[in-house]
Amino acid sequence: MSESDADGRPSVVARLVAPFVDRSVAERLVISVAAILLSIVIGFAIVLVSGRIAECTTAAWTMPLTGLGFCYDPVEVYVVLFNGALGYPFAVGDPGLLNPEWTPFNLSFGLTLSETTLLIFTGLSVAVAFRAGLFNIGTQGQLVVGALATALSVLAVAPLLPAGRIAGVVLVVIGAAAGAVAGGFWGAIPGALKAYADANEVITTIMLNFVAANVAYVLVLEVFRAEGSSVVATRYVPEYAQFLPWLFPQSSDFALIALLVGVVFIGALYYFVEHTSLGYDLRTSGVQAAAAEYGGVNAKQTTVRAMTLSGALGGLGGSVWVLMSEGRWMASVPDLGFDGITVSILAGNNPIGVLPAAFLFGVLKGGALEIGFRTDVPTELVAVLRGLIILFVAMPEFFRMIGRYTGVGGPPGGVPGTTEPDETAGGDRGETDA
Amino acid sequence: MRNPLAAASIPILDDLIESDYVRSLVVGTAGLLALLGAFGLAFPGSVAGDLAGIVFSTSTATSTARLAAPIVLAGLGGIFAEKSGVINIGLEGLLIISAFVSVYAASVVGIGNAVLGVPALAVGFLAGIAASTLLSALFAVVCIEFKADQIIAGLAVWLIALGLAPFMSTVFFGGVNTPNLGANVGWRYSTAMVIVATVGSWWLLNQTGFGKHLRAAGENPKALDTVGVSVSKVRYAGVLLSGVLSGVGGSALALSIGQFVGSGETMVQGKGFIAIVAYLFGNYNPLGTLGAGVLFAGLDATQIRLQQLGYAIPDTLVQTIPYVMVIVVLALVGRTQIPEAAGEHYETEE
Repeated sequence: MSESDADGRPSVVARLVAPFVDRSVAERLVISVAAILLSIVIGFAIVLVSGRIAECTTAAWTMPLTGLGFCYDPVEVYVVLFNGALGYPFAVGDPGLLNPEWTPFNLSFGLTLSETTLLIFTGLSVAVAFRAGLFNIGTQGQLVVGALATALSVLAVAPLLPAGRIAGVVLVVIGAAAGAVAGGFWGAIPGALKAYADANEVITTIMLNFVAANVAYVLVLEVFRAEGSSVVATRYVPEYAQFLPWLFPQSSDFALIALLVGVVFIGALYYFVEHTSLGYDLRTSGVQAAAAEYGGVNAKQTTVRAMTLSGALGGLGGSVWVLMSEGRWMASVPDLGFDGITVSILAGNNPIGVLPAAFLFGVLKGGALEIGFRTDVPTELVAVLRGLIILFVAMPEFFRMIGRYTGVGGPPGGVPGTTEPDETAGGDRGETDA
Repeated sequence: MRNPLAAASIPILDDLIESDYVRSLVVGTAGLLALLGAFGLAFPGSVAGDLAGIVFSTSTATSTARLAAPIVLAGLGGIFAEKSGVINIGLEGLLIISAFVSVYAASVVGIGNAVLGVPALAVGFLAGIAASTLLSALFAVVCIEFKADQIIAGLAVWLIALGLAPFMSTVFFGGVNTPNLGANVGWRYSTAMVIVATVGSWWLLNQTGFGKHLRAAGENPKALDTVGVSVSKVRYAGVLLSGVLSGVGGSALALSIGQFVGSGETMVQGKGFIAIVAYLFGNYNPLGTLGAGVLFAGLDATQIRLQQLGYAIPDTLVQTIPYVMVIVVLALVGRTQIPEAAGEHYETEE
């Protein structure tokens, strides 16, 4: 019985991962874009319906032909979402198309890029684990732990160094290292449990998210709380140890240098996964664990390594959150880890794809703030969109079906991938049954 | 055998409980409670005395019953889905959506009013079940018809509900938390529902033809197909049942307080995930799931009572215990007997 179990698990995982690894890049791109568009359409319907139900004194939007009044204007929501996230480059309603006063270095765009930077790290974290056939839902917890380690280590070391730019660089490096180590440790726990006790990582990482949030909260509440602070938070790290905004407004919490570091990590990780022997081990055990084992890969070690690396990236995301966004650790850490799952899935778990996916989610998050400022629509709409996008990306067959019925994607057999599902399906089957 | 407790024999239950894990759970829990009771009687003034007082008090029992309902019911639902071959990790989402919709429907009807003779709270219950079933139907279509990855689709169900419930609450009530209804469902109803559902699930799984088909769909879909039973239909039934049972659980959770709390992780707070662990721990046996669910809920209830007695343990830390326990349990139990074909799509051969 245990024999077949041991074989059963990896084949489940292989089937989970296969569609994300095998499918051609072009088809993945088409499906991701289609998933986003479909989510936007359904979001439109949700706004419309809830706008009919909600109570308000004057209608924000009246439906043409029917004359029905709605409390929320679904068109305006999306205009505000996308235009606002970029700082209103388009002059909607004015004679000119572009807003002449717009510069890229505005507050809203800074906030969007700030979210993008953080999501690059969490997205990479989930993607690396995914490539190894592991579903790391625990990036959130790894980020919380990494962020706390960063804040505490910087606060502890700061008094020992003379204030100044050099000390700032040293502190940032120490903080980032502490974040990566703590996050890596937190990620290694489910990795080891998976490798040596066969505990399902999906469940253990979800549980560790709750544990991380609770333990960090209590630690700060009882021990490290800043004196006189009304919220549960540590002291601020020194100004010179934070990433400073350059070109962008101070309040945007965005530092170009952090984004550049994120992009460098994308490149490094792409190289690691695609062009190193360790990366090869990782990929093969993700696609076909039994074959990898047969080829001499130590699957248990690879599992622990992949989860440690994944956790370290999540922890690093926490470091950036502390050193760039907040300047301290504080309770109610945003959902960056969960958004990282969406980013990674949208990117087809490809490190390069993480960049546009993170930017898209940066726009959604930045735009959510604008929705809150400028419309009455609850900002939770963006959380709904996040769930819908994941759902649609998970069902490529649906889009293939639509493609087949409507003939989108050229004549039958014209464009590979979108109109020839048999080819990919056959590939999947050959992969898992081998 | 790693576990000495598993070897112990329980006279009456031996026929019902085939699983070692369930047996060790039952024996371990009973032993622990007996030990605690003995210490409590011997040293009434000590921590053990207080703890024994809490564990054996009626208020702890009632709040355990209240907290166990969503865990056990969602766990039972999870068994049906996974036995049929669809891993439903979206139980948490089903609990969240039914919790909100039940409170919303009850408040629309208005406490004290009735629709066609059905009182408001019962309408809330039915609406919560309907919402959860609808969401599980969506999940089923996505997984069975469109061959979606079950884990990711389940995650999507959770995240959609996590966004949608507070969204709707803000639309209808102007905030992520609904106002309190001012009426609630007593713990006796929750307990009755849990017991009926557990026994019913056990009967359905082990004593009926449907249960046989369900298990075959998860273990050996090809064999089921060969004898002329549609694998898809059986899997739809399994997933929809998980929706119905989770709907009862989510509604019971919210209506037992009379309010939906939508901030943070919402009032469900990971109970859907604990439900998954409960049925894994119970090794897909409804009775084992009941035991594990009551154990997890009991821990939570004890923790709440400890707070009220003024023990200076930060409540957040005590709330962490069930999560840590889940990890420890999973590390010890580890490999569960997951149905052979769970997580895999089945293609009918014509």
